Amino acid sequence: MVNLPTDRRQFLTAGAGGALAAMLPTSLLYAQPNAGKTLTIVLPSNPITIDPINQLNHDAMVLGQTVFENLVEFDVDGVLKPQLAKDLPTISADKKTYTFELRDDVTFHNGKKMTAEDVKYSFDYLLDANNKALRRPLFTKIAKVTVLDPLKVQVDLSEPYGQWLYFLTKYMGIFPAGSRKEHGDDYFKSKPAGMGTGFGMFEEWKPNDSISFKKNPNYWRKGLPAWDRLVVKMIPEDATRVAYLLTNQVDIISAPPAREFNRLKTMPGITGASRPTLGGALLMFTNNLKPPLDDLNFRKALSCAIDRKTIGDKVYYGLLDPAAVLAPPRGWWFNAEAEKELGFDLDRAKEFLAKSKYPTGAEIDISIQAEPYLLDTKDAAIFLQAQLAKIGVKINLKVYEFSVLIQQIARGEHQMAMQVFMSPGEATYIIANTVMPGQFLSKSTGYDNPELNALMAASFLETEEAKLKDLYGKMQAILARDAPIGVLGFVHASNLWRQGVQDFKVNQALTMSVGEVKV
Amino acid sequence: MLRLVAGRIVSSFGTLLFVGFALFALTRAGPGSPARIVLGADATAEQLAQFEQANGLDRPFLAQYGAWLSDILRGDFGKSFVTGRDVGTEIVNALPVTLSIVLFAFAIAVVFGISIGVAAALRPGGVFDRVSRLLSVVGLSVPAFWLGIVLIRFIAVDMRWLPPGGYAPLSAGLSAHLQTILMPSVSLAVYYIAVLARMTQASLQDTLRGDYVRTARAMGLSSPRVVAYALINALPPVINLAALSFGYMFGWALIIEQVFNVPGLSRALLNAISQRDFLLLQGIVFLFTVIFVLANLAADLVNRVLDPRQRVAA
Repeated sequence: MVNLPTDRRQFLTAGAGGALAAMLPTSLLYAQPNAGKTLTIVLPSNPITIDPINQLNHDAMVLGQTVFENLVEFDVDGVLKPQLAKDLPTISADKKTYTFELRDDVTFHNGKKMTAEDVKYSFDYLLDANNKALRRPLFTKIAKVTVLDPLKVQVDLSEPYGQWLYFLTKYMGIFPAGSRKEHGDDYFKSKPAGMGTGFGMFEEWKPNDSISFKKNPNYWRKGLPAWDRLVVKMIPEDATRVAYLLTNQVDIISAPPAREFNRLKTMPGITGASRPTLGGALLMFTNNLKPPLDDLNFRKALSCAIDRKTIGDKVYYGLLDPAAVLAPPRGWWFNAEAEKELGFDLDRAKEFLAKSKYPTGAEIDISIQAEPYLLDTKDAAIFLQAQLAKIGVKINLKVYEFSVLIQQIARGEHQMAMQVFMSPGEATYIIANTVMPGQFLSKSTGYDNPELNALMAASFLETEEAKLKDLYGKMQAILARDAPIGVLGFVHASNLWRQGVQDFKVNQALTMSVGEVKV
Repeated sequence: MLRLVAGRIVSSFGTLLFVGFALFALTRAGPGSPARIVLGADATAEQLAQFEQANGLDRPFLAQYGAWLSDILRGDFGKSFVTGRDVGTEIVNALPVTLSIVLFAFAIAVVFGISIGVAAALRPGGVFDRVSRLLSVVGLSVPAFWLGIVLIRFIAVDMRWLPPGGYAPLSAGLSAHLQTILMPSVSLAVYYIAVLARMTQASLQDTLRGDYVRTARAMGLSSPRVVAYALINALPPVINLAALSFGYMFGWALIIEQVFNVPGLSRALLNAISQRDFLLLQGIVFLFTVIFVLANLAADLVNRVLDPRQRVAA
C-alpha cells in the first residue's frame, strides 16, 4: 500500500519533488538529429538572405547552395567541375566566348524543366543594373548571354576574363525564367520555394533560430541527398554551439572555437577536421598614403619583423597557414621565392628600418574587429605589439565593430587595419580588390601599379594553369617587392561533426557542403 | 484611483516620447550604416547610396523621426530594411519567448527571494540567516552568463538532464517548454533572488522592531499572524524593487538568450544592433521601455492597495 503524505509539509515536499522529477527526464524530448533522417548543421552567424546574388556571408552561402546551382561548380577541393552543364565550357580562341551544353535531366523545385532560357534569364536579371544585385560587379564583363538551342547557351564577354567561372558557385544561381518578376526579390531573400534546382527545397525560416529545407526528390544527381530534411540552425555563442554538438542536438558545426578545436575533435563521438582555405587571408591593410606606412622600407621592416609561424602555431593553434604574400602556401600558384622577400627575419627587418625614413621606429594605430570572424584578430594584434616593439615600432590597438571597421578601411581612413578577408579561393580576387585601382577596397592600401595591372589583365586572357602560374608568380613578386599590403597567412576552415555523419568534407571555401552527407 | 492611473499613463506617455526621440537620435549617431551591413564589404559606393535612398536613410534626421513617430502612433513598426520582414510581426513572434523566460525567472525570484528573506528575518543571526547571507553574496557576485555556461556544461552536457539551449513553445507540451526555459530562467533569477532576499529580510526585520508588533505580541497574538501583518507592512519596498527587477530582467535576458540560443526578443535586439537594423532596434527598445513603465505603474498601484497611508497621501 502506498503511504501518501498526510501533513502539509510532507505533501508540499513530495509535490515539489514530483514536479522537479517530471522536468528532468532521462532522455530529452527533442528528436535526435538522425531521427527521420534530418541533418542539422549550425552556423555561427545570423543570415540575412538566401538569395545567392545578394549573399555576403560565406557561412550563410550554404543556404543558397542548397537551393540554387549553376553551370559549373567550384568544389570543396577548389576544383572547377561541371554542374548544370554537361561539361566545362568550350572557350573560343579569343577567350571571349564560352559555350555550355546543359544537362537535360534537371528540373526546378516547381517541377519545370531547366533550359537555356532559364540560364539566360538568370544572367540577364543579375546583370541588369536596375535590379541592384549586390554581386553584379563580379560579372559585368559578361556582354550578353545567347540561347543557341534549348540545351545550349553561349556567354560572350566584353573582354577576356577567365576568372568569372570561379565565382558562380558563391555569388550566382540559376532560377526559372520569369520567377523574379512573378515573386519579387523578397521571396528569393527569405522563402525561395520552388525556385532552384539544388538538392534541398526551401521549407521554413524561423527568424533568429533556424532555416529548414526538404529533400528534393527529383534531384538530378540520383540517390542524393541522403537525408530527408536539412535544418540550418544559428547559434552565435561558441560554447553553446559546442554544447549542442556534444549533446547530439546537431550533426555538424562550423567555426568551432580555435582554442578548443584540437581537444574537441578527439572527444568520444566527435570527429573534426580542418583544411587551409585558398581564399581566406588574414590581412594587414597598410595605408600606403599615410606615414609611416608611406615608406616602402618601413613596410618591409614590419613584414620581416613578424614571426608568422608562431602566430599560426601558438596563437591560432594551427588554424592559420603562415604566408607573407597574397597567395595561399598550398595553392598551386604560390610563389615561394617571392615569399622569402617578406618572411620573418629580424636582422633584415632592422636593416629595412635603418634604410627607412623612420630609422628609430614609429607609432602606428592598428584597427581591429571587435567580434571574431573565423579568427579573433585581437589575439594576433596583441602578439604583433610585442613583436614589433623589438624593432622600435609601437602599436596602438583600436577596436571597432565590423560595420565601422570595414567602412573605415574602404574609405582609407585607417592607418593600418587587420581583418580576415574571405574570398572564393581563386588567385586574383583579393589582389584585384585590395591593390588595384577602382575596386571597393582600393583605398585600403592606396596602391596602384601599372605593371601589376597589366599582369592581371594578361591573366584574364589565360586559361592554362602553367601560364597562369607564371603570371600569378610575377604578380606575387611585384607585391613582395613593393609590400603594399601585409599578409599574415591563410586561415583554415574547420568543422566538428558527430561520428554518425558520413561523407562530410571540410570545404576549402569555408561554406559547409552538405549535399552528399549521410546521417 | 482612476484619476491616479490616468495621470500616470499621461506622464508615462511623455517618458515614452522622450525615450523614443533619444533612441532615434542614438541609433543614428553611431558610426556605421545599415547599408554596409546589408550589402557587405564588397558593395560599391553607388550601391550604398542606392540603398540609403531606397530606405529613406538619406533624408534629414527630423523627417525620418517624424515619419517613424507617426507610424508608431498608428501601431506600424515598419519593415526592416535588413531582413525585409515586418518589425511588428517579428516582435510579436519573439515576445512570447522572452516573456516566458522572464516571467518564469521573475516567479522564481519572487517566491524564493521573499521566502528566504522572511526565513532569515525570523531568526536573525541564526544558521539560516548566516547561510542565506553567504548565498546572497554568491548570488550577487556570479554573472548570469557564466552561471548559464556552467549550467549548460553540467546539467546539459555532463548529466544530459536538459537540452543545452533552444526553445520549445507551450504548444509543444508543458514538459518540453519547461525543459527549455528552466536553465535560462534560473540563470536569470539567481541574482534577483539574492537582491529580493536581502531587501525582504532588511525590511521585515525593521518592521518586526516596530512598537505595534511588540504590542501585538504582548496582547497574545499568534506568531504567524504577527509575522503576516508585519510582512504586509514590509512589502512595499520589496514590491518596488521587484518591479524594477522585472524591467531589468529584460536587459539581462539579452545575454542569457544569447548563451542559451533562445530566439527571443533579446536575441533579435542583439542582431538588430550588430546589423544596424534601426527599425527593429527602435521597436524592441521601445517595447522594453513600455514594459518597464507598466511594471513601475503596477508596483505603485499594488503598494497603494497594501499601504493605506499612500492612498491617503494621494
